Formats: sequence, structure tokens, C-alpha cells
Amino acid sequence: MGGLFSRKKPVSRVTEQDKAVLKLKQTRDKLKQYQKKIMLNQEKERALAKQCLDQGRKDKALRLLKKKKFQDTLLERTDTQLDNLEQLVSDIEFAQVEIQVVNGLKGGNEALDELHKIMSLDDVEKIMGDTEDAIAYQKEIDDMLAGGVGVEQPDDDALLEELGALLGVDEDVGEKLPEVPVSEIDMPEAPSHKLEEEEEEQGNETQERRTLVAS
Amino acid sequence: MAATDFEWPWQYNFPPFFTIQPVATTKEQQLQSWRNLICDYHKTKRIWEIDTGSDLFNNSAINRHLSPAAIRLILQNLVQEGQGVMSGERCFVLWNSLPQWGSLIHSWAADSGLTNTVLTLFEIQSGDETENQPFHGMDIWLLQHVISHLEKEGKAELMLGDNEDFSDAGVKFF
Repeated sequence: MGGLFSRKKPVSRVTEQDKAVLKLKQTRDKLKQYQKKIMLNQEKERALAKQCLDQGRKDKALRLLKKKKFQDTLLERTDTQLDNLEQLVSDIEFAQVEIQVVNGLKGGNEALDELHKIMSLDDVEKIMGDTEDAIAYQKEIDDMLAGGVGVEQPDDDALLEELGALLGVDEDVGEKLPEVPVSEIDMPEAPSHKLEEEEEEQGNETQERRTLVAS
Repeated sequence: MAATDFEWPWQYNFPPFFTIQPVATTKEQQLQSWRNLICDYHKTKRIWEIDTGSDLFNNSAINRHLSPAAIRLILQNLVQEGQGVMSGERCFVLWNSLPQWGSLIHSWAADSGLTNTVLTLFEIQSGDETENQPFHGMDIWLLQHVISHLEKEGKAELMLGDNEDFSDAGVKFF
């Protein structure tokens, strides 16, 4: 990178686990390159085998195909190794994430503990008790004030009597109302009659509406 | 590497183009044309390192070629204008500027959710995951150079291996 830094090199954000992961990934890269090499080789030999067949050299072609088969197993084995590597890399990376989660929880717990120290259970109990007392006191005051300043409480019986008087007046008014005719002969006529009324009513309604809008 | 057929600009078939012009203004234009040609050529063919023996500097059709001195001058000018970078005797073409390349690679890493993980330079260059990226196949030295640039911006940290050619180096993006 050249010694062009005018200030000290910043703190590295690369951990030991990162270095381990890098080595694993390098091994993975090498395996992949190895696989590629074998696959290319296979292609060449397959083409060569075809050529041999065309030339009628069956036994050489067979030998080449056998070699190709062997290389297939090599590829399979490297695939398994690759899977193992990937698994290990992913485990390490996940463990790193887990550590971060645990640290986060730890920090959160510590913050909560600090808050609890500020407010202890005893403090809360005292405050609740004080509040209850204050509410009870206030109620006493309310009751005293509600008791009135020398105002006489009217007699309940007298009140009920007055109420009865009021109700009695209502009943008289009810008697003076004309009876509603309930004759059956009238009933069939009612529908057409009603319709006319409704139309009238509607007419009235629209008139009303018009007057309302106008105003 | 898909080598697309490259279309030569008219200058390429113009004999004086291969001689450094004495007149200042003409020389300026000539150098600029060379810079454009070099960038286009390498970008289209996806070649990262300049090969002085290539047909870029040798047009056999008109029997003209750039002299070694001319090549040196042109490459110096290329580097001066930020479109090239030297590493010893090797010259790499920057058809995207260093910051642009840095941003392309960093965006890819961020979009793929690969920040804060370790990657090998090899997998960035040749991995299946970067198959369609413009930096796929980038020369390892150049890749390392781009990443050092990102380091200065605090967006990456290069992890050196044992090999001097950076073939076993890694990087962590942030």
C-alpha cells in the first residue's frame, strides 16, 4: 500500500476469527480451482475419446472414458470437502452474529439494572401509599363540602309526593285525548289513504327543504 | 472472456496518428484520441493490462506502429489523466476511475449483504457471484489497488496473505 499515510494507521476491524475464515475461504478457492481444472481436463479427454472412436480406436476411447469416470469420483469427493468447508465457515459466521446478539442483550440488561437502582421497590411502595392517603383525604374534604353550609336537606317523602302530583296531571291529559278509531272496515281503505298522505308528506317535505335551502 | 469485435476509430488507420505530433495543440488532441482509444479497446475486450505488443499499437494494415518512446509518452499521459495506473513495468487501464471502481465493488458487496464478512480477492474476481459484474475478471493487482483506495475511505480493510502477488489476499467491506 505504500508508506503514504501521514497519520497512524487506523484501528483494524479484522478479528482473529476473520483471519481464520479467510484461510478457510482460501482453501475453498483452491478446491474450486482444482475442480475447474479437472472439469476442463474431462472436456478435453471426452473430445479426444470421440476422436478416437471416429478413428476406430475403440480401446483407447474406452481407457479415456474410464479415466473420465475416475475423475468424476474425484470431483464428487472435492464437492463433499467443499460442503464441509462451507459448513464450517457458515458456523463461524453465525457464531459471530450470536456473540453480537449476546452482547446486545448484556448491554440492554445493564441499562435496565441502572434504571432499577434509581427506582427501588420500597420507593414505589411509599409513593403508592402516599397517593392513597392523599386520595382518601381529598374524599373526606369532598364529603364535608358536599354536606353543605347549613342548607336543609329536603324530606324524601315530600319529594315523592310532589312527583306523584306531577304524574297525576299527565294521566288527566291522557284521558282527554280522543280515542283512536280501530274499526275494521276502515282498515282496507287505509293503504291507499296512507299513500296519498305519504305523497302529500313528501310534497311537504320537499317544500320544507326548499324553504330551508332558500333560508 | 468474450472478445467482441472491436471497431477501430478513423485515427487508427491514419498514419500520422502513430507519430507524436510536434505542434502542441495537435499533440494534445492526438494524446486525447489515444487515451480514448486505449480505454475503449481494453473496455470492449475486457483486458485489464496493456500489452505493448498488441495490435493496438501496431497497425500492420497501414504498416505503422508506435515507437517505444511514443508508447511511454502516451502511457505517462494516460496515468496523468487518471485513466491508467502503473505497477512497476505493468500498466493497467482505468476505463472507470479508481473511485468509480471502488464504488462499484462496494455497492455489489453491500447489495449482496456481504459487508462485515471476509471475502477472498479471488472470489471477487472469479467467483460465480460476480459473474455479471463489470469487475469480474479484474487483474488481482488492480483489484487490490482499488480496495486500498476504499480503505482510505474507511469502507474496506485489506487482509494480506503470504503471497506477494496478492493471490491469497482477502478483504472485509464495511
